[in-house]
Amino acid sequence: MNESRGAAIAVRDLSKRYGSTLAVSDLSFDIPKGSIFGLLGTNGAGKTTTFKCMLGLARPNAGSVAFDGIPLRPQTFEELSYVPERSALYGWMTGKQHLEHARRSFRRFDAARANELASLFAFDLNKKASKLSKGQQSALALVLAFSTRPALLVLDEPSAGLDPLHQRHVLDLMIDAAAGGATVLFSSHQIGQVERAADRVSILHQGKAVMSGEVDQLKASEKIVEATFEAGAPALNGIDADPNVRRVMRNGRLLRAYVRGDCDAVVRRITQAAPSSIRVIDQNLEDIFVAAVGASASLRGERE
Amino acid sequence: MPAILTVDPRSGVPIYLQIVEQVKRSVALGVLEPGEQLPTVKQLSADLTINPNTVARAYRELERDGIIDTSPGRGSFVAGNGSMSAARKNLADVAAAALHEAVREAKSMGLDRVAIDKIFSSVLDRWYGDGGPASRRSS
Repeated sequence: MNESRGAAIAVRDLSKRYGSTLAVSDLSFDIPKGSIFGLLGTNGAGKTTTFKCMLGLARPNAGSVAFDGIPLRPQTFEELSYVPERSALYGWMTGKQHLEHARRSFRRFDAARANELASLFAFDLNKKASKLSKGQQSALALVLAFSTRPALLVLDEPSAGLDPLHQRHVLDLMIDAAAGGATVLFSSHQIGQVERAADRVSILHQGKAVMSGEVDQLKASEKIVEATFEAGAPALNGIDADPNVRRVMRNGRLLRAYVRGDCDAVVRRITQAAPSSIRVIDQNLEDIFVAAVGASASLRGERE
Repeated sequence: MPAILTVDPRSGVPIYLQIVEQVKRSVALGVLEPGEQLPTVKQLSADLTINPNTVARAYRELERDGIIDTSPGRGSFVAGNGSMSAARKNLADVAAAALHEAVREAKSMGLDRVAIDKIFSSVLDRWYGDGGPASRRSS
């Protein structure tokens, strides 16, 4: 469960262009074995395109992807389960027939586990997939993915269309898989899910990774130093030049410095300007996301 | 054990630190006793619906601080010797940091030493009782 076991997935300098649109731009990340990696971003940030390029469903314009150090090959799929955003089920087949199909296709398929998961998500295995609700179709696709007990799970918006209870089940399944040694990559625009389940995150915006790292590490290192002043906030010349300061926001008597890493120097610097109050504010993942993507992000209020 | 641990994933405080602090608090207060077994990483991550590596990191931190012992195959246990005093020492540090912050905040609001001292005495009286000669003198 640590990094020394090497990267299960390594993405390097991946770029994908659709016409004049750069959907993914110079994207790189490593996913250590046994970890849960969250790709977080607004709709259209490039999450699905990234998955397609990784799995050979779209041809990247540049870059490489390695699974356990080896480029994608047919055998990769023996150990990998991919659940696309729109479930790839056969509408004319029942849930049972899908399970039977998976049992014959995958050596490691666990039928008992499949039945257990189907009852967890409470859908009727005798119904044709086309007769299931959207949420139930997603659930069936997830049951199939997790029942093959794969070493790698790639899940594109796995809880889209599911109710909150079933969304929690999906997180539980990912956590259980990772605790058993599997590596999970999932995308979400729900910050709460990533904050809970992922140990690493990459925040995508307009095809670029604007911030990446361990979730706990990001929380520990990203702070806001907020100070108020009797008159207007002073210029504090040079504070923007501090390598730890991401940006400085001034609004009348209020000054906010977004700081990465050690903020003691910034606190001292601002204290010298005699503020009437000064405090250091912890940031949760939503704050970090909004700061990284820009205050215009439309995700506010979309948390779990 | 799960009943005494809760985490708030939305907090700005890293989840592993939340676990570390809570276990230390439980050990300091004797809620968790030396030799008592902690849930496995897998169990606790499932109970709290949080990443297993995060739990593993919290356990490593607790082991480094002498609060728990982990032996491969057997699990994690509250350390026997000195785990309680180590946890208490740590909590005193946490409390000192919180008081430090509170006083800095009060000073930045323009309160002078006498005013803060007065507030401090009344807070101490409230939580520790109006017992000591020092508190009687100041009131």
